Amino acid sequence: MELEELPVHLRGSAAAEPFHESVVNAAIDLSQRTFRDPEARGYPELLALAYWMRKAEIVRLAAQFRTLQLDNRILAPRGLVFHLPPRNVDTIFVYSWLLAALTGNRSVIRLSPQRSESTNILLRLLRETLAAAAEPASSGTTIVSYGHDVEPTEILSGLCDARVIWGGDQTVDTIRRTPLPPHAKEVTFPDRYSLSAIRADTYADLPEEKRDYLADQFFNDSFWFDQLACSSPRLVVWCGTAVETRAASADFFHRVAGCVERRRYLLPPAASMQKLVYACSAILNSPVEECRRYKGLTVLTLDSLSGFKRSHPGGGLFFEAHLEDLLHLPEFLGRRDQTLTWFGFTSEELHALVRKLNGRAVDRIVPIGQALQFHRFWDGYDLLQEFCRCVYIESAFQDARPTGASG
Amino acid sequence: MTLDDLMQLPQYSVAQADKEAVLLAELTRLGKHHRQRSPEYARLARIMFPGSADPHNLADLPYLPVALFKEHLLSSVPESEVFKILQSSGTTGQTPSRVVLDRETAQLQTLALSRIMCSVLGPNRLPMILVETADLIRDRRQFNARAAGLLGMLNFGRDHFYALDSNLELRLPELKDFLRRFGGAPFLMFGFTFLVWSRFYQPLADAGLDFSHGILIHSGGWKKLQEESVSAADFRAALRQALGLTRVYNFYGMVEQVGSVFLEGDDGYLYPPNFADVIVRDPTTFEELPNGQTGVLEVLSALPRSYPGHCLLTEDLGVVHAVDSPSCGRLGKAFSVLGRIPKAELRGCSDVIAAKVS
Repeated sequence: MELEELPVHLRGSAAAEPFHESVVNAAIDLSQRTFRDPEARGYPELLALAYWMRKAEIVRLAAQFRTLQLDNRILAPRGLVFHLPPRNVDTIFVYSWLLAALTGNRSVIRLSPQRSESTNILLRLLRETLAAAAEPASSGTTIVSYGHDVEPTEILSGLCDARVIWGGDQTVDTIRRTPLPPHAKEVTFPDRYSLSAIRADTYADLPEEKRDYLADQFFNDSFWFDQLACSSPRLVVWCGTAVETRAASADFFHRVAGCVERRRYLLPPAASMQKLVYACSAILNSPVEECRRYKGLTVLTLDSLSGFKRSHPGGGLFFEAHLEDLLHLPEFLGRRDQTLTWFGFTSEELHALVRKLNGRAVDRIVPIGQALQFHRFWDGYDLLQEFCRCVYIESAFQDARPTGASG
Repeated sequence: MTLDDLMQLPQYSVAQADKEAVLLAELTRLGKHHRQRSPEYARLARIMFPGSADPHNLADLPYLPVALFKEHLLSSVPESEVFKILQSSGTTGQTPSRVVLDRETAQLQTLALSRIMCSVLGPNRLPMILVETADLIRDRRQFNARAAGLLGMLNFGRDHFYALDSNLELRLPELKDFLRRFGGAPFLMFGFTFLVWSRFYQPLADAGLDFSHGILIHSGGWKKLQEESVSAADFRAALRQALGLTRVYNFYGMVEQVGSVFLEGDDGYLYPPNFADVIVRDPTTFEELPNGQTGVLEVLSALPRSYPGHCLLTEDLGVVHAVDSPSCGRLGKAFSVLGRIPKAELRGCSDVIAAKVS
């Protein structure tokens, strides 16, 4: 399709009712196609995506959406959502696309001409799904592909009712220079940093196999996307006495190193070199007091978290620090901190932490093992509501005259 | 045997085991020297390489990745003793490495280079063709690694003739004059590999000139020639056939370890001089690899006193083919450089590429 034809095409179709049968079925169909696809099988992230879109999950989302609909407030689709996914996380665009589509929106997705193999597989599966889908699902999604040209972004931004920008601070900054219609809203996913907190005494009480399990879960959270997913932990904060935390850390990272070896995690040589250079620089630039190097895993122990810089090379490098109490953590956290994966704390402790943070930092607190599980609640948004307008209805007619107003 | 012996003995004449014993003692001593004088080095050695203060073999010694010299000025001398700071040429947009030299280290580098070059050039200065433009060293403000390399080599020749003009075009009539004067006896030629190929060999390929008494020393890497599908063997064969040049020596070296260059033997492999060595490490775990396996090259040199660059992990891949093999009459490790570690892009939520382009 030519660029000039896009506006006509996009204006031509109407929004669907939220959780319209055709869209629900298309989502489930895409999940099943992905599970069945021999090519997709080689990509765990595609299978994770398919799992996240499976029927049970879609049904659950539909039920959750119904509870958001109130008598005097109806959630209605915004209209057209323009998605700009990052080039190097293969599959993430499907998450925002799916939530936009389920809530009745039409979507236009911009993909880079340089795509990874898994994105191409996903794109093929999505096209097959849409071709087989009923209306309005079938024509509700348009995929465009272009490089860094400004013009298509301008045209699409001018048409949309909501824009979703993935890809970090600079991408958000660049795309934001292109204006939106006055009524349109923007959902941005800037650069984020994530960390884990572990209570050392609770960890010490764990039997062997549960420690192994925890290390395994931590491995998945961290290494699946080479530790570069925004929700993968890069810092581990140990809570307890110095003696407890030291022992817990030694035991834990030894087990994580075991996972790295068992799972044959292999970092490309250039990335390994970058990691080594980064570690050396960190030792010179920050209060690192110890460095432990295992195969594929580097742990840098910080003397203090004050002034902690959140740059990171990815690929299996962790900072760790020790705090007496989880409630000492807030003073070291900031807006950039996204996901806190935890082990060993009570619900009260975690709630007290969030109250103390009071919105300054951390949008997501989940147990270790769930860092990468995408959820409607992400980066401080409820994506089930973000793509909707709230329409207020007062349906009770008040026949009594206002008292006191007439005097 | 001492470092002095290693310098004075004919190069490539020390068996690997003997060399390693001397180097281990010397480099351990140098490590102590740098721990005492460079707080940054002391910190890195203590934290990155715990237990390395008492090394049992060369691979136990702490090594620094060369890229660290781009981010940090690592010095083991007070500012008053800094003689000059060398900078790598670095392609545009890249931060150059900076290497602190004092007089002692600079002198050692000069001495070392001369010991290495004498092993192929003999004791006398030879008439010299530089496959370069004289402009390169005329402007001292633009003093880069290429110019430093050239200046270092000038000492080994006399009656210097710059074969290229300021547009890097061949000065053919003057070149013919040089050959008429000096072409009948050994003469020295020096240049960067790609310039030798594109600005010297190519325009002369059909000229029928006789360089059979020439000794060519060249360096600078094979990347550009690889892009043109010219291998090291092609290079040697072409020069032999078209110019009659049979004595062609490539060398591998870097600004972070000036002086201890690795010079090609007649078998086409590179050899460390007596006072230097190479170790091949696994590119992901950095553990030492057995000979024959490809990995990241670590270069060791007993020269650096003014900066902690005696053990450096390069970003080049290489392989050791043989040790103390008599194939070209040299002892020590015979190795090849196989080019840079290939670039890799990790995934992540942050769109690095878009950020760079926009």
